[in-house]
Amino acid sequence: MEILRAENLVKIYQDNGVPVHAVRGINLSIKKGDYIVIAGPSGSGKTTLLNLLGALDRPTNGKVYFQNEDITTKSKSELSKFRLNNLGFIFQAYNLIPVLTALENIEFSMMLKGIPEKEREEKALALMEELGIKELAHKRPNEMSGGQQQRVAVVRAIVNNPAIVLADEPTANLDSKTAQHLLELMQRMNKEKNITFVFSSHDKQVIEQAERLLILKDGMIVNEE
Amino acid sequence: MLFKLAWRNVWRNKRRSLIVIGSVIVGMIAVILSDGLSNGMLRQMLDNQISSNILHIQIHKKGFNDNKIIKNYIEDSDRVEAAVNNTRGIKAYTKRVITFGLLSSANSSAGVFIYGIQPETEKEVSVINSYIKEGNFLGTGKRDIAIGQKLAEKLDVGLGDKVVAMANTPSGSIGSDMFRVAGIFQTASSDYDKVIIYVPIETAQSMLELNDKSNEFAMMLNDYKNVASVKEELSAKLGSEYEVLSYQDLLPMLIFQMDLYRESMWILNLIIGLALIFGIINTMLMSVFERIQEIGVLMAAGMKSYQIYFMFIFEALIIGIIGTLLGIAAGLLVHLPLSFTGIDFSLFSEALESFGVGAVIYPVLSIENLISVLIIIPMIAVAGALYPAYKAVKLEPVYAINYV
Ligand SMILES: Nc1ncnc2c1ncn2[C@@H]1O[C@H](COP(=O)(O)OP(=O)(O)OP(=O)(O)O)[C@@H](O)[C@H]1O
Ligand SMILES: [Mg+2]
Repeated sequence: MEILRAENLVKIYQDNGVPVHAVRGINLSIKKGDYIVIAGPSGSGKTTLLNLLGALDRPTNGKVYFQNEDITTKSKSELSKFRLNNLGFIFQAYNLIPVLTALENIEFSMMLKGIPEKEREEKALALMEELGIKELAHKRPNEMSGGQQQRVAVVRAIVNNPAIVLADEPTANLDSKTAQHLLELMQRMNKEKNITFVFSSHDKQVIEQAERLLILKDGMIVNEE
Repeated sequence: MLFKLAWRNVWRNKRRSLIVIGSVIVGMIAVILSDGLSNGMLRQMLDNQISSNILHIQIHKKGFNDNKIIKNYIEDSDRVEAAVNNTRGIKAYTKRVITFGLLSSANSSAGVFIYGIQPETEKEVSVINSYIKEGNFLGTGKRDIAIGQKLAEKLDVGLGDKVVAMANTPSGSIGSDMFRVAGIFQTASSDYDKVIIYVPIETAQSMLELNDKSNEFAMMLNDYKNVASVKEELSAKLGSEYEVLSYQDLLPMLIFQMDLYRESMWILNLIIGLALIFGIINTMLMSVFERIQEIGVLMAAGMKSYQIYFMFIFEALIIGIIGTLLGIAAGLLVHLPLSFTGIDFSLFSEALESFGVGAVIYPVLSIENLISVLIIIPMIAVAGALYPAYKAVKLEPVYAINYV
């Protein structure tokens, strides 16, 4: 079942008056349960594409459809609601809110959805337990390692059962062992809970495990495996 | 949760928050002290005038207050007395003969207001007897006179010296009498000490051929807040032949001055408030710019603009409320001891005396002022956060997340 579709996506940045074609005409269909890796050299447009898919940025041209609904024309507040209900994000670094503990960070998006406090806490703790990071519950981000922070970020991204999790180089700041650990976690979530993941990476480890690999170059998909 | 987030954000940069809170505290102390001082000064000016002479309410024959001539005496004393006795809320009253005249010593003479008073009842309503510096206030002697320090200097007289008073009688002839200085007083107002003299009412009446008539009934109420209603009641009872005047009617300049002064205090408070606003704008802007990436993460997580907006407003509000509460506590800590000991302004005492204040000012805090700062300072804090919060909300998520 298709959940997200990009049609002829184009993003042109203006860099001091010079147009930069970051994404040029991408067509893409993402299905429920997909585990997609977008690879490509630096500057090929991976981050830009993910931002467009996640409605963090608006395309210069083209459309993004979420379950056949055009999201490129939505207002800023509609988009934040859309993200809250349908998406989870994991960034390369700086995912967590520094003044909140791991547990509170995970509860945060549930709080925004208006889920009652007790239910939030139970659900967050259960998920943390399942993924083996329950002992981090009351730690603040600065008391955790980078790998621990990223695992908390994964839990936060999936706790609201989003339709898609978008992750922009989530392993880039981690050593390979920690990265492997994180990848296994996400694969497990993909298999067990059928959560859809879209990654960007130029990390070999990530690319090898991809179910579907898109190679990006100069803002275009040059290869799909 | 929004509040929890804001609360923790306030304390993540402790030093910066404490500096702003400190500036709010200093501002509050300044406001409380300057308010207290000006309030105390005005209160003392008014209290001194009321307690030494004006009292709460005066009754005259109509027109006397504008034209203090002896002809304007109260013809039917009994009727006025009955009306006063039948009105509730009056603590005590006294009768006075008042006229303008000349007081001469062997060396010099001066224009004065001659007050013929009933020493016993005068003591019940006014505190003029407590200002006696030398000798005694009027006693039983028919020829006793009490004069102010400044006048004594001018006439070059001391206790026991002879002075002669002279004034017009209602028929137009000149009445005069000889007195002996029994007391010399010094009030908070040097002007007062120059022009007011006190003699026994009977002596004044016979000198001025008034028989038992007087010009004024002056009274204190149990509670000054009832002035308006008591005044109205007396007016109704006495009719248009008489004027019933409250201290506000009798001291229009002072009341006007007080209003003016209060207004000008607002300008000072406004300046302090503006300084605080800019301090808060600055802090909040720094806190927004420091957290751009974090704001991006919050946006990506689905936090709505208004929620981000209120997070910053709450932060400023927390700073404002903590600062205000601590500031009030600190202000009271400074204010309370001073309100008992007073602040000695002897250096400026001449200027203060000509205002009728006295050299020592006792700061007075009004509850209204306290409550208004309690509300206004946190509002100022919120006002200071409006623009920074707007800046935060206007960020584009992509820009914010990738901001380094
Ligand atoms: N805000 C921007 N303004 C101007 N040009 C931009 C902006 N963001 C990205 N670009 C340009 O768009 C192109 C694609 O950038 P993008 O960040 O999407 O690449 P990437 O594949 O994510 O690279 P990396 O692997 O280094 O993260 C690059 O040439 C980049 O310089
Ligand atoms: Mg990138």
